[in-house]
Amino acid sequence: MSVIRIDDLTKRYGEVAANDGVSFDVEAGEIFGYLGPNGAGKTTTIRLLLGLIGPTSGTAEVLGADIRDRRALTEAKANVGYLPDTLGFEERLTGRDALDFFARMRGDERREEVLELFEPPLDRRIETYSAGNRRMLGIVQAFMHDPALVILDEPTSGLDPLKQERMHAFLEDERDAGKTIFFSSHVLSEVQRVCDRVGIIREGELVALEDVETLLKRGGKDVRVQLAEPFDEGRFVTSEMIDVETVDSTVHFTYAGDPAALLEHLVGFEIKDVGIGDPRLEDVFKHYYGDEREGVPAEAR
Amino acid sequence: MTAILRLESGKRVRGSVILAVVFAVLSVLYFSMFPGIQEEMVVFEEAFPEFMFDLFSIEQLYTIEGFIAAEIYSFFWVLLVAIYFAYVAAGLIAADVSDRRMDLLLSTPVSRESVLVQKVAALWVPLVVLNVAVPVIVYLGALAIGESFDPVALAMTHLLSIPYLLVCAGIGLVASVLVDRVRTARGTALTLVFVLWLVEGISSVDPDYEWIGAATPSRYYDQTAILVHEEYALFDAGVLTVAFAVLVGIAVLVFTRRDI
Repeated sequence: MSVIRIDDLTKRYGEVAANDGVSFDVEAGEIFGYLGPNGAGKTTTIRLLLGLIGPTSGTAEVLGADIRDRRALTEAKANVGYLPDTLGFEERLTGRDALDFFARMRGDERREEVLELFEPPLDRRIETYSAGNRRMLGIVQAFMHDPALVILDEPTSGLDPLKQERMHAFLEDERDAGKTIFFSSHVLSEVQRVCDRVGIIREGELVALEDVETLLKRGGKDVRVQLAEPFDEGRFVTSEMIDVETVDSTVHFTYAGDPAALLEHLVGFEIKDVGIGDPRLEDVFKHYYGDEREGVPAEAR
Repeated sequence: MTAILRLESGKRVRGSVILAVVFAVLSVLYFSMFPGIQEEMVVFEEAFPEFMFDLFSIEQLYTIEGFIAAEIYSFFWVLLVAIYFAYVAAGLIAADVSDRRMDLLLSTPVSRESVLVQKVAALWVPLVVLNVAVPVIVYLGALAIGESFDPVALAMTHLLSIPYLLVCAGIGLVASVLVDRVRTARGTALTLVFVLWLVEGISSVDPDYEWIGAATPSRYYDQTAILVHEEYALFDAGVLTVAFAVLVGIAVLVFTRRDI
């Protein structure tokens, strides 16, 4: 059963299409990653799903409610949690007062349970909160009424790494308990870490829709190696290295193969320094999706 | 669901109390002045051209009713309190939209109609606080200086001002749903209320142009007529109530159809 069904959804602002014919489904009990660079149109899709903005054409269903049917969508929202990218709270309220308010709006049967994982200072006014505390308060209000669907827009921004990891584990537990999570992010590694399936959006268009395993293979690693001495480039570069750039004795490339194989390969050289990280999302697009959007599954078109 | 009404009501308490205190201070000032200047008011009225009094609908300054109607109600109540209502109403929707609070609020199972109506309903706080505190202060102030008011006329001055203040709030509300920037919405609303008040004042000076004022809310609320002549224009209050309902209706229509 599809919890979210998006059908040719388009939102135009004058000449600019913030969402251009986006279609995909989110199935019950999965963590669906919605990946794209900043400004790609992720938040526009989410705001369309919540009925905050109306579509120019196309439509979508959330828990069976058509987003153009305001009454049905309002009712469906009782079973939806939402963590926006920018959290607007009543600044003068304490965290507890704000949660009490949302409890009156849609219930809070799991408030204490979620507060054990994410603990914003409930007795302080929200205007004194750090970015991390605001985010935690946002997480609590999004989950405390035990919704079937939770829509998260850049949920871990502002959280420290420990809390990010806690969030990822929490989302997996929720998924295992049958919840559906719509997870929007511009961080590739985060989506790879936590999501089951991924839709990639770029300039308002869905360019790919695939399982996370496929994305993991495609993602690759961003590698920078500083060698101790002049080296034989022909011997160093392998077929898994893409976009190789060499400046003096430093080599920068994207590695598309197995990380273990890369490490074994590097041992054969005298190395001063090495850095391995996630590639920039734009690089992934450039390498794997091109501008022609080849290889887009038919269902995503 | 009344959670929004509760929250919004709480937000209105501080401003209402501050305004009531400002009013109390102002009243003490006027009441302490009145006994000393009562005699001079007759001279004062003769010294100024008549249109000055028409402009602010001032009469019988030498009576406590005329003096209070002129000094406190015609300026403070009809203009400043009206602007306060327009200002507050102009922030009701626009402030939440620009601070992104509306996103979270509308992610809950509440209709936009309900959000707007509950926010407007929270204006009961300033309405009650001001309409209870101010007449009590005025009544006691008059007793303190050995004068007295007709309590019915005083109560009617406030009762009949409620539709007037609500229309001013309605103007602010429409600005609030049309304009995204809070400062622009507030600026638009209070300028409109001020200009409408000015137009009504000026148009009432010249009978040839009096008809222009028919489209202004202050035409339908005359504090001097109520306090000095004990004339209660119930029909005019009805006109204002209908105008308020129409403004809220327009605001709902716009708000339910627009992008946030």
